[in-house]
Amino acid sequence: MHFIKQNILTVVTFLPLFGALLMLLHSYFRGNNPEAMRRMALGFSLATFLASLPLIGWYADPTLIVKANWIGSLGVSYHLRVDGLSLWLVILTTLLVPLCVLASWHIDKHVREYMVFMLMLETGMVGVFLAMDMFLFYLFWEVMLVPMYFLIGVWGGERRIYAAIKFVIYTMIGSLLMLVAIIALYLLHGQSTGVYTFDIVQITENIARYDFLTYQQQMWMFAAFALAFMIKVPLFPLHTWLPDAHVEAPTAGSVILAGVLLKMGTYGLMRFNLPMFPEAAHRFAIPIMILAVIGIVYGALVAMVQPDLKKLVAYSSVSHLGFVVLGTFAFTETGMQGALYQMLNHGISTGALFLLVGVIYERRHTRLISEFGGLSTPMPVYATIFMIVTLSSIGLPLLNGFVGEFLILVGTFTSAHPRILAVIATSGVVLSAVYMLWMTQRVLFGRVTNEHNKSLADVTLREKLTLVPLVVLIIFMGVYPSFFLKRSAGQLQQIHRLVNERAVAGMVR
Amino acid sequence: MMTLLLQTSVLDINYVAIWPMIILSISGIAVLLFGIAKDPVHRDMSMIGIVGFVLAGVATGRLWLPVKTVGQIRAFSNMVIIDHFSLYFFFIFIIIGLLTLLISASFLEAERLPVGEFYSLVMFAVVGMMLMAAAGHLVMIFLGLEIASISTYALAGYRRNDLRSNESAIKYFVLGSAATAFLLYGMALIYGATGSAELEGIRTAIIDNVNAATKQPVHTELLFLGAAMMLVGFSFKVSAVPFHLWTPDVYEGAPSSVTAFMATASKAAAFAAFLRVFVFCFVPGYGQGLHSAWTTSLETIAILTMIAGNIAALTQHNFKRMLAYSSIAHAGYALVGLIADDWQAVAFYLLTYSITNIGAFGLITYLAGRGDRETEIDDLAGLGFNNLGVSIAMLILLLSLAGIPLTAGFMGKFIVFKAAWQKGFHVAVIVAVVTSAVSVYYYLRPMVIMFFRELKVEPKRLPLPTGVLVTVVLSILGTFYLGVMPGRLFQAMENAKVSFVQSR
Repeated sequence: MHFIKQNILTVVTFLPLFGALLMLLHSYFRGNNPEAMRRMALGFSLATFLASLPLIGWYADPTLIVKANWIGSLGVSYHLRVDGLSLWLVILTTLLVPLCVLASWHIDKHVREYMVFMLMLETGMVGVFLAMDMFLFYLFWEVMLVPMYFLIGVWGGERRIYAAIKFVIYTMIGSLLMLVAIIALYLLHGQSTGVYTFDIVQITENIARYDFLTYQQQMWMFAAFALAFMIKVPLFPLHTWLPDAHVEAPTAGSVILAGVLLKMGTYGLMRFNLPMFPEAAHRFAIPIMILAVIGIVYGALVAMVQPDLKKLVAYSSVSHLGFVVLGTFAFTETGMQGALYQMLNHGISTGALFLLVGVIYERRHTRLISEFGGLSTPMPVYATIFMIVTLSSIGLPLLNGFVGEFLILVGTFTSAHPRILAVIATSGVVLSAVYMLWMTQRVLFGRVTNEHNKSLADVTLREKLTLVPLVVLIIFMGVYPSFFLKRSAGQLQQIHRLVNERAVAGMVR
Repeated sequence: MMTLLLQTSVLDINYVAIWPMIILSISGIAVLLFGIAKDPVHRDMSMIGIVGFVLAGVATGRLWLPVKTVGQIRAFSNMVIIDHFSLYFFFIFIIIGLLTLLISASFLEAERLPVGEFYSLVMFAVVGMMLMAAAGHLVMIFLGLEIASISTYALAGYRRNDLRSNESAIKYFVLGSAATAFLLYGMALIYGATGSAELEGIRTAIIDNVNAATKQPVHTELLFLGAAMMLVGFSFKVSAVPFHLWTPDVYEGAPSSVTAFMATASKAAAFAAFLRVFVFCFVPGYGQGLHSAWTTSLETIAILTMIAGNIAALTQHNFKRMLAYSSIAHAGYALVGLIADDWQAVAFYLLTYSITNIGAFGLITYLAGRGDRETEIDDLAGLGFNNLGVSIAMLILLLSLAGIPLTAGFMGKFIVFKAAWQKGFHVAVIVAVVTSAVSVYYYLRPMVIMFFRELKVEPKRLPLPTGVLVTVVLSILGTFYLGVMPGRLFQAMENAKVSFVQSR
């Protein structure tokens, strides 16, 4: 058992990559057989999911921590660890990838490469959440861009090249400035403690203990880290890459983008910005929250007028992620819990929405809302699932979305920040009901107006397999949130303590 | 036996110290003589070249431990200094020289160009570069530079029936000579100011502020002027903005394998001499602010180089021209390490850059096909999935040039940025970082064309020549090795024994 515990994080991170390599070897020796590639990709991603499940029980066990020297002279270590903040995001990732593989079964263009990129991407994403060394974190963060770039660029829609390049350049500018901040933090930490290390845990502790960053340094580093993360989130006005990338990406790419990649930004804010630079966080909180609220309202308004289903979901992401940022910067425990919960909700609901759009896109090769109507007649099961997901997305009680939004709004309202922010944000909930319900009404209900839609087949077994797990989770997360929240509470409390204690001390100083 | 050989005679002749150069010179001459034979066998000449480089590598390796124990070996009255700095650069030159031979073989054969001269020119150029890295005297730097440059001028014009190649050689020759003139003038002025042409003498004169010959204080104006002249000369050689104008034309016109050699080895050699003079001799705190003067001006040059190189590369349609501008930009990054006074960072950066670039150019020699003509980026259209091996290799090498983690290119940039940030060159680092992000755009373009566009014409199915294959494989292995496990090399460089620095 000890052996398993010691290696489980490494396995969860690198099993997909290992699978990708095996697939390449298999195709080299046995010929490039698309069906075998699909099955292997599904097998390895499912195995990774199963391997990640024990983490739910073991996440607090210190034997899980992997720490080994990597580049000694620089103080870079191979350091993986799971805690309450990363636990559910890892599980979300490992859950979504097999679903994406299933949802990509119909792809027949360069199947091997597609599946290999998918698995490489999974290693990158899990690595970002588990890495506890800034160098390692940056490595996973950047390397992940490559498979995503190809997924959009090769298997994407009409304007895929533009979208892929925009996605990479936007992210690169942010992340390279983050690299400078990482280097600066590493040097400052080394100069003041004598220990040159990239270890996130150690640096966070030492910042809290020795308080070696000047206010000025905190502000600059906060800005550099926050820029990288806010581009990824994406926070208004840095969001413009998102609709392009979402619309042009293949279905699975959109699911991964919305489900996991965007979470990396909010995860990074919670992992780095809040606990490491608390005074700067308090200083920047109001402007960031204002941007978040603008994002919430703006995203919802723009989503309302989209004629394209995918674009609508993409802009709804901007709105939903605004809530996450709002909750994070409320600096209350409730707000942060809501933010974390909303990250998971958004991953599941928006992932499911993209899958649902993919289902009808495969059948009709269009995503325009005006092309559909009355789909509930030919596709009753589809319409049922669609409705549940929609209701989850607009935050109906007993479904998951409600819990997250409620906690965020309560957390913001009870925080030290102006209440008007929470009030305006609440209008986002209303607006989301408007655009989502209006959309479902135009797509699902009424009479079938378009001839092509009359004979559409309902969801197939494969599609059910991708959708049902998400629907089950939507309901489960809605009725039993403490299953998730109690496991993340400890870590969030610690972040809460770090961000508030030090900031108060700083104000006295 | 080692101690016996290390003893210096009256004339201070020490053949052991220059074994690598001797071996390369002899094998260069041997290849040349072989080439005169009526019907020279291609294979044999490649073999001689390869064996020559391998033996030179062994000889270099055998010098590492003695240097570790004695600190440095000086020979020929301080003309040649063998320390870990020079040995490290020897390795770079030998590896690049060897790989240049490997990627040229098939091209020379296809074009029916004489092999012997080509190989020997490469080998002589490498000898010149080694002398530059190991120079302990301004004259030695000049001699090494001339040996290396003249060989490269000839190589650039090696396809003598091709106008582009001729243009490249003439441009390189005229502008290179002008640069050398600047350098020489600077050397003369520095000699006048300090009374010594030995690097150590210059260093001592500046530190003590005493002219070695006249025993008067160092003449500051002369010293500054000389340093400025040398700075211009070296900036020419490393193709830093605004002295970079020759680079794109020369790189585009020269045969691809020669471009590879120029962009990697020649640049590294110029940087080696640059480091020797500026970092080791013009030290901080002495010479009436000489150090801050040269770092400030070089900081400006580095910033301009990074901006101009990367922006110009954005609009290129020719692959070689794009890599030429990219090499200008990379010179800018290396200069950022230079102003940080960190020779390890610069040397490591040059190694990562050279290893990656030689592989990329190796692929270009293959993709350019007959006559070295098809070097437009559009010629790559649709290559991606039709020739997956080649295009993935290209992808990895371009990602390394762009500085994506796990590759050598990232590690090199990381080390340089760290060194410069530590020394307080914050503006330069920020510019470096932002331009790196911009550079991703043009490194991605070949990938867009290779993978995202559909095929225009039938894919080329030329067999990949063994030499190119070996080069590319080695280059990719090196890229990953330096990117993932650079720890041992860092350790070795940290413990490296370098002359001058210890005596500080």
